[in-house]
Amino acid sequence: MTEEAILQGCLKNEAAAQRELYNRYSPKMLAVCYRFAHNREDAEDMLQEGFIKVFSQIHTFQNKGAFEGWIRRIIVHTCINNLKKNKRFNESLDIVHAHGVQVREESVPSIVQAKQVVECIRLLPIGYRTVLNLYAIEGYSHKEIADMLDIEESTSRSQYTRAKQMLEDILIRKKILPKPREKSEWLVAIR
Amino acid sequence: MKESNFYSDEFEQLIREKTEQYKMYPSEKVWKGVHNSLHTKRKWFIGTMAFLVGGILFFAGRELINPSVHPVLATKALAASDSGAALSKTPVPAVIRRSALTAYHSTNNATAITGRDISAGTGNEEAQDQSYKGITITLSHLVISQPDLSEFLSHAVRLPDEAPALTVIASKGNISADAVPAKVSEDALAHNIHGAGETGQKPGETERTVAAELADADASDGLNARSVLESLSEKGVQEARNSRLGHNLLARTRSASSTVSGGKVSDLSESRVSDSAAISANASATSIAEASDRERLTWLHDYAMYTLPSTARQPRTYLQLTLSPTINYRTLSGGDDGPGKFVPQAPVSPLHPGDAQRYVDHSPAIGFQVGGSVLYRVTRNLSIKGGLQFNFSQYKIRAYASNSPQQATIALSSYYGYIIDSLTSYTRVGNFGGRTQQTYSNDYYQLSAPVGFELRVLGNERLQFNIGATIQPSYLLNTNSYMLTSDYTGYTKEPSLFRRWNFSGGLEAFLTYKVGGVRLQAGPEFRYQLLSTYTTQYPINENLKGYGFKIGIVKELP
Repeated sequence: MTEEAILQGCLKNEAAAQRELYNRYSPKMLAVCYRFAHNREDAEDMLQEGFIKVFSQIHTFQNKGAFEGWIRRIIVHTCINNLKKNKRFNESLDIVHAHGVQVREESVPSIVQAKQVVECIRLLPIGYRTVLNLYAIEGYSHKEIADMLDIEESTSRSQYTRAKQMLEDILIRKKILPKPREKSEWLVAIR
Repeated sequence: MKESNFYSDEFEQLIREKTEQYKMYPSEKVWKGVHNSLHTKRKWFIGTMAFLVGGILFFAGRELINPSVHPVLATKALAASDSGAALSKTPVPAVIRRSALTAYHSTNNATAITGRDISAGTGNEEAQDQSYKGITITLSHLVISQPDLSEFLSHAVRLPDEAPALTVIASKGNISADAVPAKVSEDALAHNIHGAGETGQKPGETERTVAAELADADASDGLNARSVLESLSEKGVQEARNSRLGHNLLARTRSASSTVSGGKVSDLSESRVSDSAAISANASATSIAEASDRERLTWLHDYAMYTLPSTARQPRTYLQLTLSPTINYRTLSGGDDGPGKFVPQAPVSPLHPGDAQRYVDHSPAIGFQVGGSVLYRVTRNLSIKGGLQFNFSQYKIRAYASNSPQQATIALSSYYGYIIDSLTSYTRVGNFGGRTQQTYSNDYYQLSAPVGFELRVLGNERLQFNIGATIQPSYLLNTNSYMLTSDYTGYTKEPSLFRRWNFSGGLEAFLTYKVGGVRLQAGPEFRYQLLSTYTTQYPINENLKGYGFKIGIVKELP
């Protein structure tokens, strides 16, 4: 089914079109949710809530941008709203110095896999992780992040800087990233 | 949204690329949650039907446990209530009391004793009061104006349940009131008193007339009282026969009474009966006895017609509750039977040509059906029926579970069988191989409305052999089923391709045995789903079938 047919079917509330849309985008969107959530179950709950919003608001999609991007924004906002309901998440955003993350060093250098990167991101404290996800992966600006999370823009910047530093450190410890002196050669090699 | 230097940082770019590559496959419950929240009409339908079925089962069960009043008694109660309401505000007993109507006549007084004896002339207020059950009122020195009293009591005297033991005693002497009771029905005298109001007479006037009549009877040979009471009986019969059969007899009785008494009864209240009249009355004792015989015959006729419960008439509507353990399976069809042969709805499996049946490992499983129907007996042997039935059917699939999801493609065909599109999803259930072999279950929950007939083939009223057939429009309430992918390599779930409305046919043969007020039944049945489980878009046809043993209980409806 073409994307246009799916869209038209979803506008008519046809179950087959909705299922096709879900089948097409749910794997990617679950990965998005998984990066924000505490565990897989929470991620699936976020995904379900997000897709309900997608189908119920699909008439507001105006065909001006990518359909996937529109879905993704709804899913991300759903994840953020879910996180904000958690008191621990709100507290974690105020922590400037995160506690050190215990990372076991890998003995054998491994090939960079998507799953490894995602799992390393999930090792970050929730506040760092959220800002990193929103800025580095989802492409939101610090101002947008500050508005979404009800924090100062400067807080978002500092959180991101620390999150990036910590993630890099984790990736190096897990031999996913090379040490700085080997970095340029390594980046060429993996592409 | 994006800051300009985003892609300048290689590290960020790397993170972004790698996370974008990552995909996760949600469990089926996520889609179910989405689907259920989007299609709430189905929930309403299921809820409504569940409420309906539950209500039917509740009332049916209550009717079986605590049956309602027998229709004959209910009709009697209603009739008694209606007539009582017309004449009296007091409640009328539902069941007619047995009483013996015995008339004695004497020259001095006449006494009528009922279930509650009434003493006339003791007070008008008492006579008007309809709530004096248990009060004894004795009629003494009654002089009754026969036409008036007959008119009053025509509404009141009910047909007694026993034949009137009418005894005529031509006595010149005084007879003790207590020793010679005349029993009439309880309602008779109540209505007699109350009836005064209906005819425009005051109660006091009525009693005065009665007293005067009976006082006049003191000097007569007593036949006045006898004829009056006989008239009571006649009018009671007449009332019971709805004024159809009693007119002639009443006329004859009145004529005889006039003959015996020598004129109108009202005339008797002004002059005493002469000795010659008494003699002629004695002489006509034979004719009175004949009148008594006629009365008894009339009573027997009316008793048989109006009082005896009907026996041979059978009810026409019945409630049937059934439960059937079933063994369910399916037939699969749709495949390429040979090269060059066009088969509509053919699956597109380039690697596994032929019928899908060859490539699957399925086995039957146990389900059940439960439902209720209303049967209407058209003829002695044929009944038609309609009802609701819940069906749970399932069968087993032997397949292989794997850790990594594989792509599952379902080809969608047009109405004419051409492949026009496809649905793609992911599954961890393989048909030919995988990590471990697993048994999966294809479950179907359906609500159907069987409409059909039952035909008695053999047997008597107690033990019968019947056959039956139904057509069952059915709705798929829910399903937990795997569908074979188009290349037969895996199973996946795609609820949108299931047909919600379907038709099934049912055949059954059963024995019934009547126990008390209910009829028990048991016998084999076969149910076959006439249309495919899936919509026409899915290339493979699946028809569910079930072999069951139906047990049931049938009870007549009031």
